[in-house]
Amino acid sequence: MVVKCDDVWREISNYLDGDLDPAAKQALEEHLAQCAECQSVRDGMRNVVELYGDKAMFQLPAGFHPRLRDRLTDQVEGRKISRRAWLVSIGVTGALAASAVLAAALDHFVPQPLSEMSQPARRLPQRLVAVVDSGKLFHVPGCPFMHGKYHMVTPEEAVREGYTPCTRCMPEALRSAGKVTPDFQGEEIVSSETEGQ
Amino acid sequence: MQNRDRSEAEVAIAPRSDPAQEHEAVLIGRIRGGETELFYELIRPYERRVFVIAFTILRNEEDAEDAAQDAFLKAFKHLGQFRSESRFSTWLIQVAINEARLRQRKSHLEIMRPIEDKENEDGTYTPHDFTDWREIPSEALERKEIREKLVAALASLAQKYREVFVLRDVEHMSIEDTAQALGISAGAVKTRLLRARLMLRDLLSPGLEGIWVSHSQIPKGTKPWS
Repeated sequence: MVVKCDDVWREISNYLDGDLDPAAKQALEEHLAQCAECQSVRDGMRNVVELYGDKAMFQLPAGFHPRLRDRLTDQVEGRKISRRAWLVSIGVTGALAASAVLAAALDHFVPQPLSEMSQPARRLPQRLVAVVDSGKLFHVPGCPFMHGKYHMVTPEEAVREGYTPCTRCMPEALRSAGKVTPDFQGEEIVSSETEGQ
Repeated sequence: MQNRDRSEAEVAIAPRSDPAQEHEAVLIGRIRGGETELFYELIRPYERRVFVIAFTILRNEEDAEDAAQDAFLKAFKHLGQFRSESRFSTWLIQVAINEARLRQRKSHLEIMRPIEDKENEDGTYTPHDFTDWREIPSEALERKEIREKLVAALASLAQKYREVFVLRDVEHMSIEDTAQALGISAGAVKTRLLRARLMLRDLLSPGLEGIWVSHSQIPKGTKPWS
């Protein structure tokens, strides 16, 4: 294989990188052994590679590390803080939700009086009720079991004055407000018809 | 040279079994899992490489440092897009190259492109200086003026040659990784590397105070074909 200088210059980089097949490498080396100019090309290129490949060739600017670290801390660690804040907020929300559930559960499991009549203040309708002056019950205005003159008071006032709920109209009123228990049905139905009479 | 050959051999043998790559894979998984403070540990080995490639493109230390920082932050932001079939270092260099090129376009630095950029890279480059190079003293690079001369010579090359030369000969990346990082073929890497090395050799042949050349030009008529 006849190798010319052009061939050497074209392959000298691959030669230095060890990227030539054995036959091409041998032919190129035979040319190099007798060509001073190609030796100059080879030696010069080898020195270029060694010079630039030295770690001392490029150095980071003074203060590069701390400046990069600061910027990363701001941006990357900042995300971490946000993530932590997010996790904390999730935790707080969860704790609050758990507390609400627990409170509801406790409320559910606290022993309650069996009779609705025994806890009028908590189960009373929120609107005003009618009391007949001569009666003992308080009613939803317009209750068919209410007769005679009446006046309007708050449920709390009615209870405080000794009135009890009418078992005809009040269960319905409480039921529509979602606050009555089934066992309230059918109790104390006595003598309502005589209310105010 | 030996370092590059060794690193190429390692890549060729079993890149997936490289302990450093495995460690990086673990770090990346933990960072994705929320341990973001580990990101600095992940990128620490590549600080210099990212800065050097940014400096190679921008040719200005301040711009290169800003670009390097932005590249690291983008790498963090888009770490989820990294696919483990490629090396993290190669992916990071791609991010850095894109960031530096973007910054370059924004600052209109491309109007300063050297004339060589317009040359056909397939054309043969003919060396024009046949100075007798001597072995370079190991302490040569301790001198700041020598480093500055080398940096200036490199900066005078067209960008496409600078990029390939720096990734291959400064950062000792393999031909395959260099090609992947730059989005070009392995053949293009070899062609550009040859031209970059030959041009730098010519640019540096005058030497500096006779450090690496003897100034004894080869006498005419000694060429075997003349």
